[in-house]
Amino acid sequence: MHIPDGYVDITIAVLFGALSVAILGVAARRVGREVPEHRAPLLGVVAAGIFAAQMLNWPIPGGTSAHFVGGAFAAILLGPHLGALCVATVVAIQALVFGDGGLIVLGANVFNMAIVEVYVGYGIYRLVAPYGEFRAVFAAGWLGITAGALTAGLQLGLSSAFEYQLLTTLSIMGVGHLVLGLIEGGITAVVYRYLAEARPDLRPTADREVSPS
Amino acid sequence: MSDFRRSLPDWLPRALAVLVVLTLLAPVFGWAAGAVGYAEPLENAAEETGAVDSAQPVDIALLPDYSVAGLGSAAGTFVSAVVGTALTLVVALGIGRLLGSDPNAE
Repeated sequence: MHIPDGYVDITIAVLFGALSVAILGVAARRVGREVPEHRAPLLGVVAAGIFAAQMLNWPIPGGTSAHFVGGAFAAILLGPHLGALCVATVVAIQALVFGDGGLIVLGANVFNMAIVEVYVGYGIYRLVAPYGEFRAVFAAGWLGITAGALTAGLQLGLSSAFEYQLLTTLSIMGVGHLVLGLIEGGITAVVYRYLAEARPDLRPTADREVSPS
Repeated sequence: MSDFRRSLPDWLPRALAVLVVLTLLAPVFGWAAGAVGYAEPLENAAEETGAVDSAQPVDIALLPDYSVAGLGSAAGTFVSAVVGTALTLVVALGIGRLLGSDPNAE
């Protein structure tokens, strides 16, 4: 889902870049209020884990595939604001060091993966959580990545390189990631359940329940 | 510096071990993705609309496409995974400390 430079028109790239900067700015201010210092190691490890996991392209024979993006995972584990900053860090390093996703379009990629996937994923998690945490985490990963793919499809479909074929880009991105998102949801749910069982104190709500200081 | 030591959580060694395993898996998955002809929906959409030729590489990327000049594909992927994972860990840790220790944050 990493859009390279040249795919998205400059006006679209600048618009979504500005949106991303504004939203991450708000996220950083919120985080400064909410996050105790001892969560910094967790942020580091989750970001590094997401970077490494994103390198593992699922080898689905003969078909369209994808890799884990982890936006909803970060949102649930770190809270949405810190989650957004976490995934934005990963996406920026991927573009700057590895050329995975363009530089002009970096803000648009951050918007899709670090903002839409994170906040939509978190919203779905909160919405479904009363009906069971495992299925809430699954739905968050599944529909979060689908939402991010749809905004990517929107940016592409409004651009000249894609001949403004908005319906084509939305349907290929949306349907593709709606199907592949089942794997994202599955990984998100299984890893989260393992973490929640092994270390219940790492859950985002744990800070309020058992305050260490 | 006792504050710093105290802030290092007990789960850290295990988490770092998981990161090492993931970086070791990167070249395996890289090989498998090549073997099955890995393509994402984004690439399908680009082919469908003829956008493929518009893609421009990032010139400043030190390790373009997770490869290292002079190294084979598997070794390059592994080095990229290690460098990228370590760099992400350090940068995100730094961001976390900056935000967490900012007493002026509103």
